[in-house]
Amino acid sequence: MIRATCAGIFLVLLPAVLLQAQDDKPKNWLLNGYAKQLQTVVAIDGFDEYLIDNLLHNRLNFKYYPDDHWTFTAELRNRIFYGDLVKLTPNYASQIEEANNDFMDLSWHWVAHDDWVINSTIDRIYVEYTSGKLETRIGRQRINWGISTVWNPNDLFNAFSFTDFDYEERPGSDAFRIRYYTGNTSSLEFAINAGSTWNSRVAAALFKWNTAQYDFQLLTGMANGEFVIGGGWAGNIKDSGFKGEWSYFLADDGGKNSFAITGAIDHLFGNSLYLNFGYLYNSNGTTSGSLSELFFFELSAKNLYPFRHALFILNSYPVTPLLNVSLAWIYSPVSSHPLFVNPTLTYSIAQNWDLDLVGQLAFSQDGDTYSSPVKALFLRFKMSF
Amino acid sequence: MKYLLFILIAFSTVSAWTQDATEIIRKTDEKARGVESSQGLMRMTIVRPSWSREIEIKSWSKGRDYSLMLITAPARDQGMAFLKRDKEIWNWQPSIDRAIKLPPSMMMQSWMGSDFTNDDLVRESSIVVDYTHELLGSEIIEGMDCYKIQLNPKPEAPVVWGKVITWIEKKELLQLKTEFYDEDEYLVNTMYGKNVRMLGGRLLPNRLEMVPAEEEGKMTVVEQLDLAFDDPISENFFSIQNMKRVR
Repeated sequence: MIRATCAGIFLVLLPAVLLQAQDDKPKNWLLNGYAKQLQTVVAIDGFDEYLIDNLLHNRLNFKYYPDDHWTFTAELRNRIFYGDLVKLTPNYASQIEEANNDFMDLSWHWVAHDDWVINSTIDRIYVEYTSGKLETRIGRQRINWGISTVWNPNDLFNAFSFTDFDYEERPGSDAFRIRYYTGNTSSLEFAINAGSTWNSRVAAALFKWNTAQYDFQLLTGMANGEFVIGGGWAGNIKDSGFKGEWSYFLADDGGKNSFAITGAIDHLFGNSLYLNFGYLYNSNGTTSGSLSELFFFELSAKNLYPFRHALFILNSYPVTPLLNVSLAWIYSPVSSHPLFVNPTLTYSIAQNWDLDLVGQLAFSQDGDTYSSPVKALFLRFKMSF
Repeated sequence: MKYLLFILIAFSTVSAWTQDATEIIRKTDEKARGVESSQGLMRMTIVRPSWSREIEIKSWSKGRDYSLMLITAPARDQGMAFLKRDKEIWNWQPSIDRAIKLPPSMMMQSWMGSDFTNDDLVRESSIVVDYTHELLGSEIIEGMDCYKIQLNPKPEAPVVWGKVITWIEKKELLQLKTEFYDEDEYLVNTMYGKNVRMLGGRLLPNRLEMVPAEEEGKMTVVEQLDLAFDDPISENFFSIQNMKRVR
């Protein structure tokens, strides 16, 4: 019922708004998006052949602002999956939805065959009312409380797949959020997401302020049945950026408390080389095991990486204004020495056309061998409009 | 980007006064910012022998301390915004719903892949304060009588140039040509002010071409599509909240 209503709103509003645009009034709507083709080649130890998969992906972002107070937002992603992994995975269609934080079901499988799947998902649909410094927003939205660069223990409302670089927008939360800007660089907000029980619900408040050229934030609330407090900062040491975040989760009835803290320093050198160096401590992380699970690992603010300690290094360099190369490393100093390596090459083909070549390797020690049992290579074309 | 100041100045003008070099530059600098505030729309085109890319930017500024820029094109970056308050700068990325505080070293980064860097938004070294000025004489540029002024950076100034020579048209104070030299007195770039017409109630060159020396086929063109001076803008316009809302 809810999803039918939302879809109805979307379909009814869109043509009405487009028609209105023919008047002489200033444009009060926005429609943009992209189309992407992602080709994946995966090599898994033990398989003789590569797995080759394809994802054809279209995203539509729509905004309608009838006046200065009201904004209506709807964003839709349409995806066609086909290839070896789709064939090999029983019930691939149902897997697509696992990474979502949905309460409302706004996902449709138009086709769910064994060898191909067509899915449409509305991952943003909300109404916002603004009155002066007060903003109220209800619906499926991205509540991004992260302030640091790589890991975000303060990002309570979202869970997503670590290796899914293709979903920059990340899933939304079905939530209510109210925010008051206490100043030009400070705000106080409260948000609660829809959940059937307190164990599947997040309700928290966040205060952000700026002092001595640092942004600071503090948060507290209940996250999936646990009391949480956290904080973060973004500032600089001399010319380098210095950012970090921490969260402490208090388990009820004698369960294990969780603590995560991360810090990062980033710097852009005169020759345009960008370097980001970071560290994460995750009390829920293991000190053993291999890294292959990273490809199937769903993270949350409480568990941002499978291991207790993680060091992150990102190098990035624009070879020309059109070509950027980057290399990210994540190493954990535990017995299996897990190392995640992520090279990326980004090329601007034309004004609105981009090409990305991305590799993902996950090395770890298994007996005498140090290898990456899963290797993935991605080729992506993107056309923005 | 190290050129933005000069571009801003070239888009400005002053009624004709007879004055010494520093006074010409100072008046030009004041007027460039519209004294109080300015807002406009510009298109920047990066031209290379085998390709070109365009970026369209809406901008608002108040004095030296506050500015807000909104990317309106290309489609990939549409909606992205930059807020500057005093020495701090934030970047709004609508797709991930996140305002990111940029570190000072990021200011030197090529801005949106162009010859501009974030530096101009934040550090904004002053061509009045950071240079000494010397009137070299008069020359005719494009048939117009110009002051020829040399700018020499002061020893401690955060300036990359060894010297700058600029030609400013005497009557309307139009910056028609500017040469940027490195510390070995070697010509690096030449900026031309072209297509003089009324902009925001003032006569200004509305097309600037930045041409690297000895690199054939390369330039960055900035066209001012719309410009208004001194419409009152409150300091509160330059807020995190508004960075997310401007359109």
